[in-house]
Amino acid sequence: MATISTVSTQNDSAGPAQITQQPLQVAKRLEKFKTTIFTQMSSLAIKHGAINLGQGFPNFDGPDFVKEAAIQAIKDGKNQYARGYGVPDFNSAIAARFKKDTGLVIDPEKEVTVTSGCTEAIAATILGLINPGDEVILFAPFYDSYEATLSMAGAKIKGITLRPPDFAVPIDELKSTISKNTRAILLNTPHNPTGKMFTREELNTIASLCIENDVLVFSDEVYDKLAFEMDHISMASLPGMYERTVTMNSLGKTFSLTGWKIGWAIAPPHLTWGVRQAHAFLTFATSTPMQSAAAVALRAPDSYYVELKRDYMEKKAILVEGLKEVGFKVFPSSGTYFVVVDHTPFGLENDIAFCEYLIKEVGVVAIPTSVFYLNPEEGKNLVRFTFCKDEETLRSAVERMKKKLKK
Amino acid sequence: MEEKLSSVAKKFTPSPIQELSDLAQRCNAINLAEGFPDFPAPSCIKNAAVSAINSDFNQYRHVQGICDELALIMKRMYGLNVDPLTDIAICCGQTEAFASAIFAIIDRGDEVVLFDPCFETYEACITMAGGIPVYVALDPPQWTLDPDKLMRSFNSRTKAIVLNSPHNPTGKVFSIAELEVIAEACCKWDCLAITDEVYEYITFDNQKHVSLASLPGMQERTIITSSLSKTFSVTGWRIGWAIAPPSAASAIRNIHVKITDSAPAPFQEAALTALRSPAEYFETLRAEYQSKRDFAVELLTSVGFQIQFKPQGSFFLFAELPKNCLLSDVEYVKELIKQAGVVVVPGRGFFHGESSLDQSSKECCSYQSRYIRVAFCKSNATLTAAARKFGELMNATGYPRLHF
Repeated sequence: MATISTVSTQNDSAGPAQITQQPLQVAKRLEKFKTTIFTQMSSLAIKHGAINLGQGFPNFDGPDFVKEAAIQAIKDGKNQYARGYGVPDFNSAIAARFKKDTGLVIDPEKEVTVTSGCTEAIAATILGLINPGDEVILFAPFYDSYEATLSMAGAKIKGITLRPPDFAVPIDELKSTISKNTRAILLNTPHNPTGKMFTREELNTIASLCIENDVLVFSDEVYDKLAFEMDHISMASLPGMYERTVTMNSLGKTFSLTGWKIGWAIAPPHLTWGVRQAHAFLTFATSTPMQSAAAVALRAPDSYYVELKRDYMEKKAILVEGLKEVGFKVFPSSGTYFVVVDHTPFGLENDIAFCEYLIKEVGVVAIPTSVFYLNPEEGKNLVRFTFCKDEETLRSAVERMKKKLKK
Repeated sequence: MEEKLSSVAKKFTPSPIQELSDLAQRCNAINLAEGFPDFPAPSCIKNAAVSAINSDFNQYRHVQGICDELALIMKRMYGLNVDPLTDIAICCGQTEAFASAIFAIIDRGDEVVLFDPCFETYEACITMAGGIPVYVALDPPQWTLDPDKLMRSFNSRTKAIVLNSPHNPTGKVFSIAELEVIAEACCKWDCLAITDEVYEYITFDNQKHVSLASLPGMQERTIITSSLSKTFSVTGWRIGWAIAPPSAASAIRNIHVKITDSAPAPFQEAALTALRSPAEYFETLRAEYQSKRDFAVELLTSVGFQIQFKPQGSFFLFAELPKNCLLSDVEYVKELIKQAGVVVVPGRGFFHGESSLDQSSKECCSYQSRYIRVAFCKSNATLTAAARKFGELMNATGYPRLHF
């Protein structure tokens, strides 16, 4: 954990040179920035030889045709700065894909910004479009960078909790929270960690409230190709919404190349402007050869996506059935490669205690969800498992839990 | 919907470098503007990246080996003891290392001292974090640092100073005496220093880059940022780092994780190969850039420039327009594109005249529109072609045509 010193040691007149060993002063905004739970759990996992169903990246690799494209780009000398907002061919591929998925026609030069992963798209969107003091609505549980980045921008966060069993949007609470003072609402669908997919009714309701109150939507759709139980709907495709929505996505989840850090933000020009300004000083440009490869990836035929879905649905079945047999209360997950369960049948006092027990005594890693809430108490009964692992790993994990996890 | 922009984003204007690049591209001009090589990256490093992709190093990762190598290098080059486990954050380029460092230490209202001229991105970052940039002008033509001017810019609100050496755009390498002046100011006012040392291996005439952190009292208050980009001609790979005392490094790492999560995995692997390059690699790099520097100086001299300050480092030449040339920097650059088919950068984008502390002379700002920046990080073929184009500017009687 970072040591945070907010005590000023400066005084108004210049003193003699100090030879003290004081901790370097760090900014007050860092209260929200701690070592992530993922790192902690991963270290513990390695120590105990546990099977890692915690961190959301595959233990299998991306498709050869994409890797080969990157290799070719490196050999062809595409190793210098890309244009800041993206390699032209990649921007075009993103626009083409977006048209295929949503029917919306966008200008790749004016409405697409390439970033180092979707994480940076989120950071650039928030830092480029949010003023200190702006109200932003966040649905809990949420991907952990949202809260941290919003606090970096000095936003006033208003949380609305999605609750089991179906994590439906509490419409009345949303109506009473949103107002003309709301600057933006953050949306993640399909949703990490619950796997919830926002329904058309929910999106319509959110949309009309946003139009009524002139609110922006920042929509994180990285798992859009892992939509299993229903079709993914992009907020930007709803009437009146494109002009006020930033749609964010990435290569990593869809193509099992999470370490390449290729993401993007799609927004109308007046919003793209702010995203690009922030992006320019956050990372300036995104990895060049990977962008060339990503353009090839996005032009993959429909069969790639069909097969991706089929593979993941098989993996999901193994995990979900296994978790049910072990005795968890498993909540339905419509999309992403995550599933959230209630661990309380096993008698541990909270999610962190359960996860530690699971690593040390059972040899499996899950993620405690309390870190994904504004109020950690709300997550204490829930833990998240991932099924982006090969089938043998999933079966082994299930076996370990069946053997060693007793109520 | 312009009111939806954050107040800081509204202040930003498009990069003049980018706009001129577009004009240059339309005119098919030789590009001596942008600061990246047009020659290939070293083969062994490219091969290492290819190998990493083939070996499935493609998921989120943190390659601790990079930190181990950097610790060795810091000791060897600068005599610094750096703990690879706690003192280093790997980021997406020096850009992200700098941004994370700023967000890690700057609170709203903190002042940050910067030298003028300087790279345009620092201010954007500082402003976004709520900091206040305070400029200290380096004095032309030698870009000397005036110690009194520097001391006067510090006060109780000063949180940090940013030092870029070797320097973009002037090519200045801050001397030990100047570093001592900076260190004295930092220690006296208990301030931090953030350094940008991306050109650390590109110094000329037996000059050696000295890291500010290696001066007495400085390591505990300095955040070093640098990257692979310029040293290994891989500006498009986005592998950089911040090196700092543990509490700051930890803070920087935590912020970086929220901004991008991690640097591109296969290039982290390739970084190991790069950082293990033998001494000969760096010697060759220096020698080749020195001869390019000499070529660039000769090139401009032959068309009427008086080069009063030869670059001591980096791959930029910052040249004042000839006295008999009445054009501004922007006008000159446009004419150069149209008449000679060569593009360089007008110097004004690097100056921040209005914010400069020293307003004593009414001429103080007029030189700010009289400089051009020439990048010589280009292949010999490109430089030779550029020389030929410049040569065509001379008319039949041997006088430069390009003066109005």
